[in-house]
Amino acid sequence: MTQTDPLMETAGAVRTGIIDCDVHPSPRSMDEIRGYMPMPWKDRYQGGGRGFYSNPVHGSRLDAVPPGGGPAGSDPGFLREQLTEAYGTAHAILLPRAFCNMHPDPDYGTAIAAAFNDWLAETWLGEYNHDGLFKGSITVAHQDPQAAAREIDRWADHPHFVQVMTDSGARAPFGQRQYYPIYEACERNGLPLAIHPGTDGMGVNVQPSPGYPTRYIEWHTCLSLSFQAHLVSFVTEGVFERFPGFRVVLVEGGVSWLPALTWRMDAEWKALRSEVPWLTRPPSEYVKDHVRLTTQPLERPDSDKHLLNVFEAMDAGSVLMFASDYPHWDFDSPTHAFPKMPDELRERIFSENARSFYGLG
Amino acid sequence: MGRHVVGRVGELPPGDRKVVEVEGRSIGLFNVNGRFHALKNSCPHQAAPLCLGSVKGMTMPGKPGEYVWDREGEILRCPWHGWEFDILTGRSVFNPHKTRVRSYEVTVEPPAEFGDEERVETYPVSVEDGLVVVHL
Ligand code: FES
Repeated sequence: MTQTDPLMETAGAVRTGIIDCDVHPSPRSMDEIRGYMPMPWKDRYQGGGRGFYSNPVHGSRLDAVPPGGGPAGSDPGFLREQLTEAYGTAHAILLPRAFCNMHPDPDYGTAIAAAFNDWLAETWLGEYNHDGLFKGSITVAHQDPQAAAREIDRWADHPHFVQVMTDSGARAPFGQRQYYPIYEACERNGLPLAIHPGTDGMGVNVQPSPGYPTRYIEWHTCLSLSFQAHLVSFVTEGVFERFPGFRVVLVEGGVSWLPALTWRMDAEWKALRSEVPWLTRPPSEYVKDHVRLTTQPLERPDSDKHLLNVFEAMDAGSVLMFASDYPHWDFDSPTHAFPKMPDELRERIFSENARSFYGLG
Repeated sequence: MGRHVVGRVGELPPGDRKVVEVEGRSIGLFNVNGRFHALKNSCPHQAAPLCLGSVKGMTMPGKPGEYVWDREGEILRCPWHGWEFDILTGRSVFNPHKTRVRSYEVTVEPPAEFGDEERVETYPVSVEDGLVVVHL
């Protein structure tokens, strides 16, 4: 490179190394996952993703296909090259895409989640993790919250699992009480719950819009609606009062809507407080204390100033954590996806917020 | 503007592309239906290696519910976020006036100065009074 990029220089100024909160490792083939399944699931499992609402162009970065073959995100050496060596990433938080949350059969969903956890522990968090770069997420199938809680307990002591994860696609908003065994298990093990898009409007799950969207562009744009619905539900149902140690990270659900949503919730609460008497503080305060958002896909209005204003309104210096979504098609480059920001804010978003949220050294 | 020899015509049949380095800059060279075009290998959006993207046609602007596919082989899609660029001009499809990738001029010249072109020496031949004459 002969040109010096001023943004690149600023990124280099992240002193402690970037923490990337949304990186997707992939099995080399579905046989890898099948290998961790007992019968009859081993026999039944076909692997695969969502089936529909697929990106019509390409789902992963075309240049992320490993030179030695295999799907994007399946070669740890190549991933290190494209991510950690290129940008100085100190930790990559891994969120495998198991798509277990859409199956009507809860036992099948739970078996897929368990196999992905075994696989991740042995490969990306084990054999491939000589330097401790990779931190993992415990996949759970929320169709069976009790089984999900047992799965969390099974892995909670593992040194490299740092959170529990589930898809935003769900049968009901996440504040409702059928999910509480999952939150209890998170709280008792000190692990946050990450919510990631994936199975909205698929299988057993509803999309929080009137029916099925037509095309990927509509589905993908509206994913942030799921996150808003889940967040309002968490707060109004009193989940954070019931589980004071429970924390949530909203991954890939959008960013800029947060101020408007919390303003509205606070306003509604002033009038309707009697309906939710367990909320002793304005809803926005629960969000500040219990919820973090990852940045990708970061909205970029024509004017950087507008985005920076939103950052200020949402207290981005406390709530935002950087994510690239490598190797997916809407990957955000640490050097190009953001407007210029003060160094301190940059340091917090790119590194410090996640470091303290996940308790990374 | 300097001249830089970047390859042989025969190496790059129609539909093919190759990425070359010129003066430390990465450039994608495309053969679109027999004509050569060169674009900077960096996307104006987030600086992805643009020229590694897919080369296709595109759906032309149409009425709602209408799909017309055209410009086969002339549209480059960024390998990251999939923005479409016209290989012939470097201009983006969604906003050709503002979003464009730098394009460079490409010419095709006789291979005289490009090393050992695969050919044997030739000699002038003439036909004189029914006889073929080679001039050495
Ligand atoms: S970097 Fe090319 S479309 Fe985003």
